[in-house]
Amino acid sequence: MSEALLLRLAILLYLAGTVCGGLSLVNPRDAMRRATAISLAAGFLLQGAGIVVRSFEVGTIAVGNLAEQGALFACLLVGVYLLAQLRYRLAVLGAVVGPIGFVGALVALVAHGGAQDVPPFLRSPWLPVHVTLAFLGNAAFGLACLVSLVYLWQERQLKSHSLRPLARRLPPLETLDNVNFKFLGWGFVLLTMSIVSGVLWAELSFGRFWSWEPRTIWTTIIWLLYAVLLHGRVTVGWGGRRAAALTIVGFGVLFVAFIGVNVLTPGRHAESFG
Amino acid sequence: MSDGTARVHRLDADREAEPHVELWVFGLNHRTAPVELRERLAFPEQDVAEVLRRALAAAPVEEAVLISTCNRVELVAVSARDVDVVEPVTQFFARERGVPATTIASHSYVHRGRQALQHVFRVASSLDSMMVGEPQILGQMKEQFRLAVEGAAASRILRRCFERSFTVAKRVRSETGVAGKAVSLSSAAVELAKRIFDDLGDKTAMLIGAGKMSELAARHFVGNGIASVIVTNRSFDRAVELARSFGGTPVPFERYQQYLPLADVVLGSVTTSGHLLGPSQLHEVLRARRRKPMFFIDLGVPRNFDPAINDLDNVYLYNIDDLAHVADDHRSEREKEAVRAEEIVREETDRFWRWISRRDVTPTIVALRGKLDGIRKNELERALGALRKLEPDERRALEAMTQAIVNKILHPPLSVLKQLALQDATEAAQVAELVHRLFALEPARASEATDDDEE
Repeated sequence: MSEALLLRLAILLYLAGTVCGGLSLVNPRDAMRRATAISLAAGFLLQGAGIVVRSFEVGTIAVGNLAEQGALFACLLVGVYLLAQLRYRLAVLGAVVGPIGFVGALVALVAHGGAQDVPPFLRSPWLPVHVTLAFLGNAAFGLACLVSLVYLWQERQLKSHSLRPLARRLPPLETLDNVNFKFLGWGFVLLTMSIVSGVLWAELSFGRFWSWEPRTIWTTIIWLLYAVLLHGRVTVGWGGRRAAALTIVGFGVLFVAFIGVNVLTPGRHAESFG
Repeated sequence: MSDGTARVHRLDADREAEPHVELWVFGLNHRTAPVELRERLAFPEQDVAEVLRRALAAAPVEEAVLISTCNRVELVAVSARDVDVVEPVTQFFARERGVPATTIASHSYVHRGRQALQHVFRVASSLDSMMVGEPQILGQMKEQFRLAVEGAAASRILRRCFERSFTVAKRVRSETGVAGKAVSLSSAAVELAKRIFDDLGDKTAMLIGAGKMSELAARHFVGNGIASVIVTNRSFDRAVELARSFGGTPVPFERYQQYLPLADVVLGSVTTSGHLLGPSQLHEVLRARRRKPMFFIDLGVPRNFDPAINDLDNVYLYNIDDLAHVADDHRSEREKEAVRAEEIVREETDRFWRWISRRDVTPTIVALRGKLDGIRKNELERALGALRKLEPDERRALEAMTQAIVNKILHPPLSVLKQLALQDATEAAQVAELVHRLFALEPARASEATDDDEE
């Protein structure tokens, strides 16, 4: 199957998942939740297959431009969400995750084939490992951010003593806070592993384990930020509103830095993928 | 008889076509009286039988049931007609609870007759509750009714009336969705806790003060699987007693703050002069429990917790009005159901009112008196026609004598009828029927005539 066909099917399934997710917000029924999860899972598999097909075409993992990177991010976010959903009652997030997958697959389809070739010096088995770890970490941070937004929305209603009907369908605050912590932890581990893999790769391939360029500087800042946040949670017991707000800030920095570095600045990470 | 007299007669009969007994509701509730007054007038359960006995002695009522909950204090009573019970009952409450009669009078309401009946039905069906549809009121009414029956304060009429009200409540519950939602304050509190906490199964509730409402809320939390309950109260004995009923732990009031970090849900219902807890004390508590969320429910009068604690991160404070507000979010869904429920109550009120009216002997009395008076007047006319030359004095004497004869004859049967009407509806109806036959009375039983039309 061609990549375009896979993406088209994935788009339809994400759309279906979004609709089912929205309906299950209005009228929470198990059948509807299951339909949401199944649509999203099928969308995830098809988009994933599309990325694999595309990766074989280019000879390494397909992250040749911002569109492909966005698509990979969205796809992994859906995947991580589906995994987390097995453990936690997060069905309501399906209505938010669905559109993200939808946009990711749509962007990939529209930008189809527009990506640059990956320069030969980056064609290494390290690339997919390094990139996948980094994007998985970003997906986990992205989900932590979504969960925090839901948390803050619900928290404000509980504080102001007026609960909207929708809020009665959301997971309890404590659950959201726990899930936020889990996502942050996983994101942090994955980000660290991605950095380690990058360091190893650089050392082995280029003989220099670290080079100061915008991407690595920003990654270090983001890593420190999440480290502080996690440290605060574990030792001081930061939780609730403050943790949620910091999680959102953290992801905001991550997101802006990622786009900014890609678009604006030179460096090993950017020059090859501009 | 001319048309004019007939019409006058009919009007009389209509006015009198009401039960010979009167049903009263005298009381105050959450809408008419502030909580302080309600609390002062509320009667402890163990006193109810004795209070009813005193009420029957103090006020001209034949039967009485007391409904005393945290939202209402009402006396449902039956008296003979044309007796004013409002003043004596007001005085009675004033004496019993040491509250000025004027205060009671300005915060109370009085229903009588059909309206009183409808009120009792509405209360039982939880349509008059602060939280419409809340399920506790029915149980409370059943309990208070049982006490009244045991104390022999509720007999013929009120027994039927209350038993009927329970049936009406059951009908409202099963035929409408009024009670279908989590509607009581306690349920609202539990629902909110479930918005905050992941799992109540590892949470602890603390009761500060052993008010009825907080006890009820605590029972709801226990029913929803909360792991443990800590109870503290100014009277330690009461704390122990309450803790035992939950399988909880009593702690002395002086030291409850030590245990506060253990509590995820805190229910306050103490009567205090100031706030029990403010932000500064809570800072320490939150630090001790590593800032895990706390849910405060303020049921106290005046408020137990400083409203400012709601601004602290991870602290959620709800007072009784906030709970009502949350529970009220269901209101739009319930409103349609409430309309149907009111229809059921009206329908049942009509039906039961006919039953009360049927036991009415007034039409029989009117008819019997009319019949005898008619005979007297006819015979008097005839006699006066024969005795032409009578002085006005002599005429008046004859007039008075015949009147006295009629009254003397009527007195015993009428007393028996009135007495029966108060005691035994069935027998009263039978005797009235017999009187009609014996004296060949017109079928003047207006109430029964309309009954047949309607049924």
